[in-house]
Amino acid sequence: MKFLNSKQKREIQKGIEETYGIPEIPYLLIEAGKQRLRAFSGNLTREEILELSKIANIEVIGMYLISQKDDDLRLNFDALPLFKSQITKRILEINKDQLALWMRGYDLDIKCERGIVVLKYQDELVGIGKSNTEKIFNYLPKERKLKTPLPSSQS
Amino acid sequence: MSKNYKYEMKPLFEERMRILLPDNKDFENYNKIIHTSPQSFLRCNTLKTSPNELLLHLERKGWMLSQPFPNHPEIMLVTSDIGPGELGNALEHQLGYYYIQEISSMLPVIALNPQPNDFVLDLCASPGSKTTQIAAAMQNQGTIIANDFKIDRISILVSNLERCGVTNTIVTRKDAIAFTSALSKYPLPKFDRILLDVPCSGEGTIRSSPKTLIQWNLKVIKKLSRQQKKFFAFVVKCLKKGGTLVYSTCTHAPEENEEVISFALENFPLKAETLSLPLKCRPGIREWKNDKFHKEVNKACRIYPQDNDSEGFFVSKFTLLEDIE
Repeated sequence: MKFLNSKQKREIQKGIEETYGIPEIPYLLIEAGKQRLRAFSGNLTREEILELSKIANIEVIGMYLISQKDDDLRLNFDALPLFKSQITKRILEINKDQLALWMRGYDLDIKCERGIVVLKYQDELVGIGKSNTEKIFNYLPKERKLKTPLPSSQS
Repeated sequence: MSKNYKYEMKPLFEERMRILLPDNKDFENYNKIIHTSPQSFLRCNTLKTSPNELLLHLERKGWMLSQPFPNHPEIMLVTSDIGPGELGNALEHQLGYYYIQEISSMLPVIALNPQPNDFVLDLCASPGSKTTQIAAAMQNQGTIIANDFKIDRISILVSNLERCGVTNTIVTRKDAIAFTSALSKYPLPKFDRILLDVPCSGEGTIRSSPKTLIQWNLKVIKKLSRQQKKFFAFVVKCLKKGGTLVYSTCTHAPEENEEVISFALENFPLKAETLSLPLKCRPGIREWKNDKFHKEVNKACRIYPQDNDSEGFFVSKFTLLEDIE
């Protein structure tokens, strides 16, 4: 368990603002596993958390927020609604058929600028993907994929 | 008693329920409703959306919902026929906009009434329905310690916390007694509120888990009762003076309910609080078989399925009057 210091947090903050337009991450950031950061909004101090870790196995703190892969700062799917009103960049609107594919784990054949893409359907942010200009690769976590079959018009 | 049901009550279970429900019509109503599926309730996850927005979304899909409790607009009853698995497979569920939770299971947290900036312990937290409800009430402020023991149960808990966007929770894995014993000795703050929703025999969940009827066993109830008293005795030492503790089970067995809280009232400086819950409650019973309980156990709330078209539950609430060393 490693807490990011203020310099490290500033760097992450800067990257998040450049990528998504999110002006502030009001959380304590903690490194958890490979290139993953978790966000904690609780009011226990670092010292108190360390004391707690002497008593019990701390399995997780807060929520998984960002992964750092291939120089990208990838926001976690579950965190999207928390930043819904603050994300202003890289938003791509998709239609109902594309949403149905996306939520079942399919990549989307949509041409757009290379890099991270935030997918929006109607007024909801429904995913984070990565474009190679020809296709958007699906990063939806396995446990969030819809298990129902595609609507018959698409299958 | 009719013998047309897939799972029948064991004779001893029936005998006990007839003592708890001495009016024959009341017992028959109970016996009828436990063989039907429970109603479908959702709890809007206010960490991610508002009840009004969620209603708009779900009604756009053709679902019909009602909000039966004006003081709790986040609680929604699904009134239209929805196919099996559809509730859990909807986009809005995957986005964490709601939690599928039976109404009676929402009552302990309503009784606990957690506030932003509280320090809260949820000792037996998995699968996370109540932890996510606590986090929503606290608006992701303050801190929740959510503990459970088994790794597979922790995985479910973490998945639900992630889906619901809970950021103010620390998930720990430790045996409840070892954990609370250590907590009370370490230089950590004491808790403002504690939810003690203990493992129980589950008599109240027959509508969703009919096999409980064939698994029912009095020896298990007695064993659970001993464990529940231990949990209470250890966790109460982690509560701050003036703090609130809610003890709840999803069973009707007095050994796991009034006997446990009577033990707590007799041994610790606790005051039983009167509850105001959005379902019809019956008071805790003052005696069972040859045992007489503390007079304040009647402030507890017994929830019967036939009263509310719900599952069965038991909820009780206490304030700690003096610090316990």
